[in-house]
Amino acid sequence: MNNPLLLDIADVSVDFRTIAGTVNAVRRIGFAVRHGETLAVVGESGSGKSVTARAIMSMLATNATVGADAKIVFDGQDISNYSEEQMCQIRGDRIAMIFQEPLTSLNPLYRVGDQVAENILAHRPMSKSAAAAEVVRLFEEVRLPEPEARRAQYPHQMSGGQRQRVMIAMALANNPDLLIADEPTTALDVTVQAEILALLKSLQRKHKMAVILITHDLTVVRKTSDQVVVMRAGEIVERGATEKVFKDPQHEYTRHLLASEPKGRPDPLAEGAQPLLVGQNVRVSFKTKHGSFFARKTLDEVAVNSLSATIRKGESLGLVGESGAGKSTFGMALIRLIHADDGTIKFDDVQIDGRSRKQMRPLRPRIQVVFQDPFSSLNPRMIVRQIIEEGLIVNSIGATSQARKQIIAEVLADVQMPADVMDRFPHEFSGGQRQRIAIARSLALRPEFILLDEPTSALDLSIQAQIIDLLRVLRAKHGLSYLFISHDLKVVRALCHNVLVMRNGEIVESGPTEQVLGEPRTAYTKRLVNAAFYADATEPADQSPAD
Amino acid sequence: MYEAPAQASLSYWQLVRRRLAANRYGMAGMFGCVLIIATALFAGFLAPYGRETKNVAAIYSPPQLVRVYDGQLSAPFVYGFGEELDPITYEITFVPDPAQRAEIDFWVTGDTWSLLGLMEFSTHLFGTEPGKFIHILGTDNLGRDVFSRMLYGTQITLLMGFVVMAAACLLGVAVGVTSGYFSGNIDAVTQRIVEFVKSFPDLPLYLALVALIPRRAEPLTVFILFAAILVLLRWTDISRELRGKVIAIRSMEYVRAAVAVGASDPRIIARHIVPNTSSHIIVWATYQLPEIILLETFLSFLGLGVQAPMVSWGTILNQVRDTQALVAAPWLMAPVGMIVISVLAFNAFGDGLRDAMDPYSNE
Repeated sequence: MNNPLLLDIADVSVDFRTIAGTVNAVRRIGFAVRHGETLAVVGESGSGKSVTARAIMSMLATNATVGADAKIVFDGQDISNYSEEQMCQIRGDRIAMIFQEPLTSLNPLYRVGDQVAENILAHRPMSKSAAAAEVVRLFEEVRLPEPEARRAQYPHQMSGGQRQRVMIAMALANNPDLLIADEPTTALDVTVQAEILALLKSLQRKHKMAVILITHDLTVVRKTSDQVVVMRAGEIVERGATEKVFKDPQHEYTRHLLASEPKGRPDPLAEGAQPLLVGQNVRVSFKTKHGSFFARKTLDEVAVNSLSATIRKGESLGLVGESGAGKSTFGMALIRLIHADDGTIKFDDVQIDGRSRKQMRPLRPRIQVVFQDPFSSLNPRMIVRQIIEEGLIVNSIGATSQARKQIIAEVLADVQMPADVMDRFPHEFSGGQRQRIAIARSLALRPEFILLDEPTSALDLSIQAQIIDLLRVLRAKHGLSYLFISHDLKVVRALCHNVLVMRNGEIVESGPTEQVLGEPRTAYTKRLVNAAFYADATEPADQSPAD
Repeated sequence: MYEAPAQASLSYWQLVRRRLAANRYGMAGMFGCVLIIATALFAGFLAPYGRETKNVAAIYSPPQLVRVYDGQLSAPFVYGFGEELDPITYEITFVPDPAQRAEIDFWVTGDTWSLLGLMEFSTHLFGTEPGKFIHILGTDNLGRDVFSRMLYGTQITLLMGFVVMAAACLLGVAVGVTSGYFSGNIDAVTQRIVEFVKSFPDLPLYLALVALIPRRAEPLTVFILFAAILVLLRWTDISRELRGKVIAIRSMEYVRAAVAVGASDPRIIARHIVPNTSSHIIVWATYQLPEIILLETFLSFLGLGVQAPMVSWGTILNQVRDTQALVAAPWLMAPVGMIVISVLAFNAFGDGLRDAMDPYSNE
């Protein structure tokens, strides 16, 4: 593309002043975006992607300073020294932004139509009724069903995908020349994600906007961008045409990033493995009370509707589905962390449903769990040693503190962490390292079964791959069985022998992973598979599907 | 294999200390708090006289000016007062009398005082030669030194503050944590009790409860009962706040992970729940102190709180509760200064602590 330059930034540095010293979040980076082009900025969390975007909009936090020699040239004007008033003219009018979290980027107290209209009225002189008509037109454009009625709704009445459409409508309100989309689909389910990306693409063509797409998802980059900038630790390590960078990455880090999509297949399952954890007709419902005080009614919301699952010794069973499908509830009910109303659950031929928490205690070391969010699954006030030691103390494993220390050092080695991390607090570690500590906490009890509740979804791609490798190694070493809950089909394919597809509390499809993902029988599974692997399948011929 | 972070980053409490040190107002508050607590501990040393020492020669004597000049520069000294009768109004006025000059000496021996009731001393920071007196804040109706009594009052007022704060904290934390952690019926019942207690109109209830305390009881008994009444009405706020916090923490994944390794409820509460509410509790406690100080002073001022011979700031103020006394001896208002300083200091310290303990602030 040889369109004229729209945005040209050079020597942009951003420093954050914190109590622990100055952090250089972005170091002298520069890139250019042409009219009508999509530039993807990829990198892992903490690489400075979002900070760069905010620096362009001059929307940084108060403790941040932009380097004095930074040049931000937008449409021929150097806007790096613009005053707040001048920036207000540009923001939302010529440069618009979409944020990651559609839940929090809309004000819950105002109708969505008014929020979009506010943006129109701030930049264009027009009557309120004309603005309202404009809002309806925009809602039609972002393909919100019943745009007229939507205008009067509040954010909580909409789904995540719909809210993100409202955000896009707001961004488009004044026909911007440049749209900065900061991880616009990260918080959404895969199928919704695909729809939003398609919408963005078509709107971009129609309005001839330039788009800066910030993302960590390589599939998204490949699918949507013309140019790509790869960032790492506040610096640009590689830039160029997307196709070229993907085909022939120059920098080692880019190669590393590209190689980190989950790969491989699970080791084959031994013939005739005995069932370890069996759930039959497990039903979980949540009771909500409604009605007046004197005519109280309870509503049973069935989250898991009489489902059965069997995990054999040494098997990894994948449990996939979109958010709200009841995956976690089913998994937690199977290991008795959530109460099931009905059904039988057997662990190693011992019935465990109906047992009290106290009665479950002898079995706890054998059944472990790793949670999704490594930032909330480790107590911030305990050091790593105390975190891992707790299970040992509670279950009287290791007679002396020395013996326990020995066990802790062993499991830390198992998860490939050095033993000297024992005296550190969780906040000193990155997400991937924390997840390793969480896995070590489970492993310390020498379990036979681990429930993995989306253990990689909060992690960066390359870390994700490392954790998957680690889980595979640990399974082989300790003969573990996994129930792996995930919405990421790529990860499931790399780790699980069998898979259950859940939707709205029901299992819609089940069977060996290759079969279910290779030849999905139901429309729902097909949609999931398309959304997850579609970009791979429609790439230029030289791009084989990931692995 | 991962490398451990090269440089040990700061622990939570190290961060708190740094943030607090960077906050000047908070540091000034902390300095003030330390000074006031030190004053309470060493009141006997700082005060030239005991709390009941009477100077019959100086009833309602005004504050003496510390002088260093008598025609030439000299060591600090004060003049005693001579009484003069106004021939028209017959009002007695006090005038400094150079004939009654008293040199100020340091490290003088005088009334015995005890440090925390453990050790007895009789050395004072300053005083005069035997037989002469120094009253830098004047005297009251019995000729007792207001300055000394004010310092001794710090002890009782602060002790009351700390006792009530600690007891209310313990009770509030215990109830709040139990209520939030176990939820269900326990929660419903305790929260109704909390609401019941909170719905009492404070002041009339204080007055009514205080009226129940037998007047002839030992001052110590009165003190304890008085503290109990304050605790009874103060624990509810923290229990409400903590209940909410605990409900939030209870659903954190680290608590569920503890359940999954088989930890018991008491262990989860002690190891996971309470440590994660500690910053909240500490900040609440710091804010409570000034409130209790004000309340104690107010009730003692009304004559309902601490009873003689115990001295608190409020009981000193009680002596000037009518206009006549106020006009005659305005210097008896001196404890007001101490109250203002201590309330400001504890509030400033509390503000600083709250900002420093906020995990989201990073500046």
